[in-house]
Amino acid sequence: MKRLRNKYIKDERVKFISHLDLLRVFQRALRRADIKVAFSQGFNPHPKISFGPALIVGATTEGDYMDIDLEEDISPEEFRKKMNKVLPPGIEIVESYEVELNDALSTKIKGAEYILQVNVKKSIKYIQNKIEEFMRKDIIEIEKESKSGRKMVNIRPCVLELKVIEEAEDYLKFYIKLKLGEGAPNPLHLLKALNDYLGNLFDIDSYKLHRKNMILE
Amino acid sequence: MNNLKDKIDALLMKVSKPTRYTGGELNSSIKNPEEVKVRFAFAFPDVYEVGMSHLGLRILYHLLNKREDVYCERVFAPWLDMEKLMRENDIPLFSLETKTPLDKFDFIGFTLQYELSYTNVINMLNLAGIPILSRDRKGLPFVIAGGPCAYNPAPLSDVIDFFVMGEGEEVINEIIDAYIDWKKRGGEREEFLQIVSQIKGVYVPKYYIEVYNQDGTIKEIRTIKKGVPEKVKKRIVKDFENVYHPEEQIVPFMDIVHDRIMLEIFRGCTRGCRFCQAGMIYRPVREKSKEKILDLADKLIKSTGYEEISLTSLSTCDYSQIEDLVKKLIEKYKDKGVGVSIPSTRVDAVSINLLKEIQKVRKTGLTLAPEAGTQRLRDVINKGITEEDILEATKEAFSAGWTNVKLYFMIGLPTEMMEDVEGIVDLAYKIVDNYKEVKGNVKNLKVTISTSTFVPKPFTPFQWTAQDSIKDIMEKQDLLKKKLKSKVLKYNWHNPYMSFLEAVISRGDRKVGKAIIKAWEKGCKFDGWEEYFNYDKWEKAFKEAGVNPHFYANRERSLEEVFPWDVIDVGVDKRYLIREYKKSQEGRITPDCRLYCTGCGVKDFDEGVVCFEAPQK
Repeated sequence: MKRLRNKYIKDERVKFISHLDLLRVFQRALRRADIKVAFSQGFNPHPKISFGPALIVGATTEGDYMDIDLEEDISPEEFRKKMNKVLPPGIEIVESYEVELNDALSTKIKGAEYILQVNVKKSIKYIQNKIEEFMRKDIIEIEKESKSGRKMVNIRPCVLELKVIEEAEDYLKFYIKLKLGEGAPNPLHLLKALNDYLGNLFDIDSYKLHRKNMILE
Repeated sequence: MNNLKDKIDALLMKVSKPTRYTGGELNSSIKNPEEVKVRFAFAFPDVYEVGMSHLGLRILYHLLNKREDVYCERVFAPWLDMEKLMRENDIPLFSLETKTPLDKFDFIGFTLQYELSYTNVINMLNLAGIPILSRDRKGLPFVIAGGPCAYNPAPLSDVIDFFVMGEGEEVINEIIDAYIDWKKRGGEREEFLQIVSQIKGVYVPKYYIEVYNQDGTIKEIRTIKKGVPEKVKKRIVKDFENVYHPEEQIVPFMDIVHDRIMLEIFRGCTRGCRFCQAGMIYRPVREKSKEKILDLADKLIKSTGYEEISLTSLSTCDYSQIEDLVKKLIEKYKDKGVGVSIPSTRVDAVSINLLKEIQKVRKTGLTLAPEAGTQRLRDVINKGITEEDILEATKEAFSAGWTNVKLYFMIGLPTEMMEDVEGIVDLAYKIVDNYKEVKGNVKNLKVTISTSTFVPKPFTPFQWTAQDSIKDIMEKQDLLKKKLKSKVLKYNWHNPYMSFLEAVISRGDRKVGKAIIKAWEKGCKFDGWEEYFNYDKWEKAFKEAGVNPHFYANRERSLEEVFPWDVIDVGVDKRYLIREYKKSQEGRITPDCRLYCTGCGVKDFDEGVVCFEAPQK
């Protein structure tokens, strides 16, 4: 058995498929490529595939990761080629390499970089300064729902970087770098906090989110 | 156009299950619309996950797209959240593949699988900005329809430009060819309707009128155009072995109702159950050879990567080499983790053995359909099984380790009495006793009993019978609710108002069609979904249209009555239906036609029609 770590793209064409759908896409692609995947033991065996943190439905990525355990001895390069031949349009593996079997993807992923575009209701002056002000805060609180009810969570420690990279009349484009892990916010949480801070300037439902990269340890 | 795509994308951020509308699935067809002569929108009047589970769509989609001069795209009824956003943002109904508004197509082809989807047909046209009445349409597209419900074309006669009777793969290419020819000549819309009215299997409703008697029954169906056929004969695939079957299948991203390979192993059914419309209209029985099926299975597994393959037909266990076929498939693909499923299980030991084989790869439930609770009533409906069969089969299954059994029954069957309904209860408890006998207790046992309500359908021996009143049905359901109370029993029933509406429409005439339009105007859609079904609106619609629904659902017809669907010839002779109807009243059964020909007439229907014939003993 060997474990291959794969970096993949999910583009505009397939941005609405869910995390669970994506798992099925890979399972079926493995069967079409006739690659023998390892199955878990137990009453209801399932193929050993594990993903990094789920992407929001509607977002694209060019830097997500997924581990697959294989029964057969196939080189990462051959695996990548075979899979890309049978994956549906819009999904592509861009990099494959072997890792140790005890190397768990979930403990390796530390952060992610995003590009987030949002429509603005009116143009904002000195936006860069305002963002810097926002980032100088020690506490950025958002309301999160949990089993025990709603509570306020400070997301500031998870926000590694936030800057405007493009300004247009009707939209803004941000570069965002976040820590990932248990309880970490997603870019939309941050966007909401920023929108509150700026006095509701964004059309918060009309955004485009792209995950540029995941940062592995 | 791109503009529309962006607008749609923006809406998709806000709806549930957005992949219902995106297309782009594996094996879906990508073509340049500029390079084809005919653009065909295959329309299914229900949501994506229901429509994509339909084999007919898959066959015709790939068949049409095999042609270089045709581009067939798909469209489904948008769910209510999406429809609301589309209407608010002026987005017309669009195709999945290229996001083209439907009015830009040459054809919109609806498949009519159940009567309660008719308001969705109308709603989809409206959402596409296309007039809902055929007579108000100018220019393109042509709105056509096929499928089992099309055999009674009367209720949608004002809406559909023309119907296609019978097996689509047999006739669709002729229609397309005629269209290309007509378009090249720059003909008038009316002229094309005349041309297709001469194609065998095509019914153009505007060339026919219903003439009524004083009592509201039909006196005659009169042709009002010279040269159109008095009776439209359905089309039949004669070489079923070699008829087109897709070797690839679209693999949806989202979980659909039947999310597996569908491989059709035979068409038609030899059982002759008297309530079953499919068993009559899909005649004759035609099988594919085992070799052909194995070859198709291999190609389909390779092209889809699916984990399950369903051998579909009306009664899969009746396939002449079923045991061998299933064994071969299991052997060949079990290492790849591909399971086999059969959609319906016959009530006998052979079937239980088959299920055991299938279990080797994937757990499967046990579903049996005794249909009626007493032997008398099972004989009336010609369900050729005995209580012994049922008890033996379940015993066998319990010994083999099954703990869950689902049983399907119908209530409201012709001649049914309360003791027949009690028979359902008795049978359920006998099955529980059975389990006790095998296992010593009832631990883990779950018996689910579901009753649907009988709906008399055109072209069946019961087309003359009255449906039970809603009150009677409710009484029967109440009895079952009361008596099937136990920890190991679960009872499911159907909304009787929905079954009533189904009965009205299925044997409806053109007057019923007016009520359907009224109901849609009042906001009816997704009538097949209990949470959106609104009988009050339907009641008002019937009243306004001057239609008494009970006249259609609850009236016993005389053998002489002219039916709205008598203008169609499905191949099964009316004399045979009458014979079966009379036999049912006497409680006499007719054997499976694999034993000997029961003379339904389909063999003499058309040149080259071959029916399954049992080897001479």
